[in-house]
Amino acid sequence: MGLDPVFGALLAICFAVLFASAAVHKWRNLPSFEIAFSAYALLPQIPTLHLTWLVPLCETAVAVGLLARATRGVSAVAGALLLLGYAGAIALNLQRGRRDIACGCGGPDQRRPIAGWMAWRNLLLALLLGLAIFPWSGRALTWMDGATIAFGAAAAIVVYLCVDRLGEVSARARALQGSA
Amino acid sequence: MTALAISNVLLWIAVLALLLVVLALVRQLGVLHERIAPAGALMLNRGLTVGERAPMIDVEDLEGRPLRLGAPREDGRSTLLVFVSPTCPVCKSLLPAIKSGRKDEKDWLDVVLASDGDLAEQRRFASEQGLDGVPYVVSTPLGLGYQVNRLPFAALVDAAGVLRARGLVNSREHLESLFEAQRLGVASLQEYFASRA
Repeated sequence: MGLDPVFGALLAICFAVLFASAAVHKWRNLPSFEIAFSAYALLPQIPTLHLTWLVPLCETAVAVGLLARATRGVSAVAGALLLLGYAGAIALNLQRGRRDIACGCGGPDQRRPIAGWMAWRNLLLALLLGLAIFPWSGRALTWMDGATIAFGAAAAIVVYLCVDRLGEVSARARALQGSA
Repeated sequence: MTALAISNVLLWIAVLALLLVVLALVRQLGVLHERIAPAGALMLNRGLTVGERAPMIDVEDLEGRPLRLGAPREDGRSTLLVFVSPTCPVCKSLLPAIKSGRKDEKDWLDVVLASDGDLAEQRRFASEQGLDGVPYVVSTPLGLGYQVNRLPFAALVDAAGVLRARGLVNSREHLESLFEAQRLGVASLQEYFASRA
């Protein structure tokens, strides 16, 4: 038994939008992402080697790959690995006690510090994306399924935006008390 | 079947509408926080107390000139200590504000940049960022003395060697709030609001 095509399509569309928006943010201001990326201090710093653009490139590839049937499985695995990587990078730096580095997510003007909830969020997202690896069952889709996919994707995107904003607001509230 | 489909579509529309309302509310919450957030440098709950003597520490800048920080000065000038690091991206983005602040307030203020760590790296950072002319000291006791735990951190010491203001400075506004603190004689935004309440 495979994944119902409605679930499959929902997952593929939502994650394609997520990765595409993440990639667009990074492409739009690559230098500021480069600063954020090097602040994670994951790789030894080699100043002549600017490999930061690989991250948005991977994200773009995953976003496009999720939409095509042939590449969906591979893209889902790659996307889940990317998300796990981000979660690991955030968790590692939190453990090092470097709580003030920018997360490198969101728009170029946003400078948000990394936080524990981001690591958990990415873990959850990776699990969800992992579901997209399963093949779809061969059920024929009706127009109602189309409506479910369209509305469902829109709802999921708005929920994601809400959670994202709430995380930011609560971080700001904590910073006000001087204890963040 | 038709009735179910219609009810389903209507429900989706209702869910989406509600979600958009939630999003608008959350955004408003963010705007509200922005409005009430202090425009001044945030004082952390730990560290030296404003109004007390600053620790007196002898240091040398990168060019080898000796400096006695925190000591009472006869020329009546105040000292702004800004703690930065080559590895801190916000510090880099703050440097232009520090340089222009130094120029604007040069009648009464000396700016000293302070850092800690490998000397060669600090020299490279200072020359890369065009910090010639700004005293740049590398000293571990200084950071410990002022109990700096986050960067970029600034401390304003007046001519009598008394700590006038301190805090995390992430922007030009934060930096200027320290100058304002000196002019108004209040230590922090929190104190300013408390005195008006």
